[in-house]
Amino acid sequence: MQTLNIKIGGQAGQGLVSVGTILLRAATKEGWHLFAHQDYESRIRGGHNFFQIRLADGPVASWENDIDVLVALDETTITRELEEVRPGGVVIYDPDVLGSEAKKLVEQPNCIGLPFARVAEELGQPKIMANAAAAGAVWALLSEEITVLHETLALLFGDKGDKIVSGNQQVASAGFQRVRNIVGAKPRPEKPRYPGPRLVLKGNDALPLGALAAGVKFMSAYPMTPSTGVTEFIAQYGAEAKVVMEQAEDEISAINMTIGASFAGVRAMTATSGGGFALMTEALSLAGSAEIPVVVVNAMRPGPSTGLPTRTEQGDLRYAVAMSFGDFPRAVLAPGDVEEAFYLMAHAFNLAEEYQMPVVVLSDQHLADSYVTVPPFDLSRIEIRRGRVVSGAKAGPDYLRYRYIKDGISQRLYPGFGEGLVVSAGDEHGEDGHLIEDAETRRKMMEKRMAKQRLVEENALGPVLCGAEDPEIMLIGFGSTKGAIAEAVEILNSRGLRAQGVHLPQVFPLPKSLEQFLQQPAQKFIVESNYSGQLEDLIAARFAVRPTGSIRRYDGRPMNAKYILDRLPGGECHGR
Amino acid sequence: MAGNQGFVVSRETAWCPGCGNFGIVRALAKALNELGLKPSEVLYVSGIGQAGKLPHYISGNVLNTLHGRTLPTATGAKLANGDLTVIAIGGDGDGYAEGGNHFLHAIRKNVNITYIVHDNQVFGLTKGQASPRSDQGMVTATTPTGVYNEPFNPLATAITLNAGFVARSYAGDQEHLARTLQAAIQHEGFALVDVLQPCVTFNRINTYQYFRERVYDLDQEEGYDRTDRQAAWARSWEWGERIPIGIFYQIQRPTLADNYGEILTTPLVKQELSPGIVEELLREFQIG
Repeated sequence: MQTLNIKIGGQAGQGLVSVGTILLRAATKEGWHLFAHQDYESRIRGGHNFFQIRLADGPVASWENDIDVLVALDETTITRELEEVRPGGVVIYDPDVLGSEAKKLVEQPNCIGLPFARVAEELGQPKIMANAAAAGAVWALLSEEITVLHETLALLFGDKGDKIVSGNQQVASAGFQRVRNIVGAKPRPEKPRYPGPRLVLKGNDALPLGALAAGVKFMSAYPMTPSTGVTEFIAQYGAEAKVVMEQAEDEISAINMTIGASFAGVRAMTATSGGGFALMTEALSLAGSAEIPVVVVNAMRPGPSTGLPTRTEQGDLRYAVAMSFGDFPRAVLAPGDVEEAFYLMAHAFNLAEEYQMPVVVLSDQHLADSYVTVPPFDLSRIEIRRGRVVSGAKAGPDYLRYRYIKDGISQRLYPGFGEGLVVSAGDEHGEDGHLIEDAETRRKMMEKRMAKQRLVEENALGPVLCGAEDPEIMLIGFGSTKGAIAEAVEILNSRGLRAQGVHLPQVFPLPKSLEQFLQQPAQKFIVESNYSGQLEDLIAARFAVRPTGSIRRYDGRPMNAKYILDRLPGGECHGR
Repeated sequence: MAGNQGFVVSRETAWCPGCGNFGIVRALAKALNELGLKPSEVLYVSGIGQAGKLPHYISGNVLNTLHGRTLPTATGAKLANGDLTVIAIGGDGDGYAEGGNHFLHAIRKNVNITYIVHDNQVFGLTKGQASPRSDQGMVTATTPTGVYNEPFNPLATAITLNAGFVARSYAGDQEHLARTLQAAIQHEGFALVDVLQPCVTFNRINTYQYFRERVYDLDQEEGYDRTDRQAAWARSWEWGERIPIGIFYQIQRPTLADNYGEILTTPLVKQELSPGIVEELLREFQIG
């Protein structure tokens, strides 16, 4: 696979996300596949952030360390990132922002100085259009023609008026021409062809889109990075679908509002991150006891406590599975990429309603903020199953919310939709929902609820496999490590090994079918972004199998193929 | 409690004999019957404590939730189905201690629900500890030298936050309580009814006799203007020889549902699911 990595570095507030967004849309239009991830600090101005785009001639799902094109909007990008540029790579920097030390570093033939803001100002345009100059400069390394970049700018700035569009196009052309004059008609990476339309979106787009596709009608949330994108998306676009998104005073209120709305009969969700999830756990226990469906997105970031608020980790797995106090049925899903995020989010609502229980969708900052090109979603794959619900004549005065039934799934009635009364309680209750104290009812009600857990397990989503079918080495993971594992497997196979990737889109209950893969004679490595090996423990607890080795990352940075390969036997970091 | 013809009060409860809660549940049934509602049209959302059990002793739909979380849960239910008459029920520990933050914000949101607080100035179900409403100096198991904290003033707080309906009633006065609850349920917007409710087991200070000697009805006072916020606020601090009950403050302001406009013209739960919107949205992310 031919790939090309572009890293745009700068301070928060400098517009590097704009440059990145322009480029990723234009590159997609040009026919590239891409994967783009974001690295940012917990601040609004200053610091050092980057937006990294990996272009490829085939599907890509992860990132690479080595940089082909470095765009430096500030000095720190030069001092900190220059050594990541691979031999033959190009650096485009703004000489106006470099001090004398940094200026020495860029005294190399592959470094091109381009005063982004000045380019805009010289054309009589506002400084903010420096972003277009930077995008134009990079585009000169990607394409013979500027047409596609111009079209992209027209699309992105179209609602701001013709003057803004033409200004940006003019500045982009200037950036393009300056670089073209220097590099000339150098051979460029062969232009790929991606047939047909595709989407370019990030996890925080795919998750709310999946929820809307599932017919979510209510959301309540409290802002917390990196989940906030989900909340804002529903708030912004929900109105068209007549969805209520109510910002709560805290996460406790958010989950309880969600539970109230779901009890009343609508599909309801909330989104948060670790600390907020912690505040929600008491209510999850209520949802478990009262058998109220609820979907919670927990976009993980490194803990403990406030941890690294803008970075990535998979350290909430054990906590999400434990979820709360007491025994009650639940499921935890862990989408590995934007496509899975879309379909699993919709699936989460079916699970929650069919089994009348809480479902947690584990995302993380890497999934939430990373863009990828994918084929258009197939909406016909989204099925809305609302489970056992009665109304009207079938919900007469003898209706019992928690009627005993072998599989544990009693019929729901939305209050007011029949003569029958709906009585639900977090206190232990009888079939009619009223409070009980006797041992017999308690035992039967606990068994009724937990019967559902067996069904959830029987219907658990199986592992998603890639690579060799008769592996000698297996890499097992969940959530956003999916792309990194798939790429590591591909590289291992290209080296003549038989490697297999096992991705788990459902982490609780684990699918029984996982056992057969764990029994293969291969060497097994569990790959996860946390310190203590939470997936490893979960698998050991369920199947009594320990892997050959573990590959863990807990520095707040996303996993990629190199990280994994370096830590396998024979890799340069093996055993460290 | 299964019938849908009128509101009936259960004979069996887990309350102490003589508890002020009996007066509240009977007055509530009376108010609802007089309003001509059907039990299936009413949803009680309650928390934990002796007050939280009330919905189990009267006909209607029930969501008996967690300690302190009554108001957000009721808010979610009301937003999902505006056709339901939603009555939130809790105690002073539940609502003013554990759920204090929700109390502030439910008022700000002005969701169209009625909030009945059984205010017995003590924790009943956990056997008599101090509550945010306990009088200063009250000796309890957790405050052996007497309550030090300033008592929480729910009425003053609600008026400060411009709640649309702020009332106090007394569990010992059935007529007054039923009338006040009826007005609260009919009010469009968040309606607080703080009910003085003697705890016969754990509060030996604020007894039936204590209140009988002190309460007077603001509704009967000539010249009292319940739309005058300053006057209402001043009156909410009267607590001593004389304790006012009645509607302290009532004004109309847009409710949370009004804020959602067309989205809530039809209750959410009665709307068709509209996943079709996604096809349109996806075009914004599509290239080529």
